[in-house]
Amino acid sequence: MIEKRICELIAAKPLPEGGRITDGGWYIGEYGDCDIVVTTGSKAILVVTDGDGSSDINIDVERGAELSILSLVTSHSAMNLAVAIAEDAACRMTQVVVSSSDTRVVASLMERGAEFDMNGVFLLVEDDKASVTADVNHMASDCRSNTRVKGVATGKSHGSFAGLVYVAPDAQRTDSVQSSRNITSGEARIETMPQLEIYADDVKCSHGATVGQMNDDAILYMRQRGLSLADAKRLQIEGFVDDVVLHSVVEGSEAILAELLAEKLSKM
Amino acid sequence: MLKVENLHASVGDKEILKGINLEVKAGEVHAIMGPNGSGKSTLASVLAGNEKFTVTAGKVEFEGENLLEYNIEERSRKGIFLGFQYPVEIPGVTMANFMKLAVNEQRKAKGLEPLTAAEYLKLMREKSAIVELDAKLTQRAVNEGFSGGEKKKNEIFQMAMLNPKLAILDETDSGLDIDALRIVATGVTRLKTPENATVVITHYQRLLDYIVPDYVHVLYKGRIIYTGDKSLALKLEKEGYDWLINDYKEE
Repeated sequence: MIEKRICELIAAKPLPEGGRITDGGWYIGEYGDCDIVVTTGSKAILVVTDGDGSSDINIDVERGAELSILSLVTSHSAMNLAVAIAEDAACRMTQVVVSSSDTRVVASLMERGAEFDMNGVFLLVEDDKASVTADVNHMASDCRSNTRVKGVATGKSHGSFAGLVYVAPDAQRTDSVQSSRNITSGEARIETMPQLEIYADDVKCSHGATVGQMNDDAILYMRQRGLSLADAKRLQIEGFVDDVVLHSVVEGSEAILAELLAEKLSKM
Repeated sequence: MLKVENLHASVGDKEILKGINLEVKAGEVHAIMGPNGSGKSTLASVLAGNEKFTVTAGKVEFEGENLLEYNIEERSRKGIFLGFQYPVEIPGVTMANFMKLAVNEQRKAKGLEPLTAAEYLKLMREKSAIVELDAKLTQRAVNEGFSGGEKKKNEIFQMAMLNPKLAILDETDSGLDIDALRIVATGVTRLKTPENATVVITHYQRLLDYIVPDYVHVLYKGRIIYTGDKSLALKLEKEGYDWLINDYKEE
């Protein structure tokens, strides 16, 4: 079990009664609904794994706290994860989606100096259908966010990404990056809907979205060296999603995440 | 080793190769020269098995087998290597990982076991030395951010790793400064054995100072119109192609 191996890596404990967490590793397994508070100044790592079904997770990251979330979506599930980030607090997130699912992350930067970073990937094969939403609300000034989601759809799968960056009227000096990069092959489809809503005037927001095909020249190059067509495609996809794995918020989890993706790719 | 007879090939409706005849024996080096647009790169691509081109007539035999029956990766595993004129960047895929897969595919085709990690590292060290390739480059993504010279050295490094029977080098000298050219060409020469053969496609005689060809062919409008020895390259360098092309027109 991948979840178990990652939990062992960070010696994760189950959520305590009342949901208030401090330093250390924590997990929500087979998630149901829950409310979590990362207490002032603490450094917590939270592993979120899914079971079949839906869940609502609400997280408050208190002043000066740092939360790292590793979210693994491997079952047919629907997840709503809302995180509110207070003054000078930060939330970093890695999300890996490898199943038909509906995941929605809403990060709200509530007070000045709050930060949110998300690196996500969805990898779909056969007739998978998944949607990934990542909304960021800049509610206060001097906050920073960086949302990067990569999508790969092969076979007859269908993926979609939606991401809204909202900047409230008082959220001056907002610094926000959002990117959605996708590749498809065969009959697969990906839709991407990045959105910006800006009501402040002194902001730096950039967003970009691309949907492309596999690079045929690269595949030809690899095949000329003796790799089969399937291996060449696999390698190219691995290369495309590799940085998400490398930047995992859980140190030491890179190999485990790579394995999860490789296992999925073997079904391509 | 390689026998090409009356090879015709097209891309779309456009015929580019119009009856190529070429025989390459083990131990030989052939140079193919010719003006731009004469079909040199197409010939290289067709021999390697690039599906963009359709062979419309003719035969290609490689070690007694009909090469045209095989796809590009099968030809590679049979020992054909193409050094690309424009090596492709593959973001996120390290050279080391890529070559490990490639080497092990070649070994599998020969009925050999995959290399152990230690054997593989040793092979990489040995072969990168042949082209003075910085070993650090093998930890980087394939060709990504490589300079022009590094990309071409990297082609020869891969050739060294895969140890092909027939290497076709498509304008490996283009975009190289004198030092890089010497390193690349010396690398190719060091890889030469009586059992393998090299076809060098080039614009310039310069490269042939280092890689001494047994034969020089001039390709023009999809046909080999003239074959000579290494002195032909010198003559072409001095006099250009006009005298040959004019002769050809008169025929």
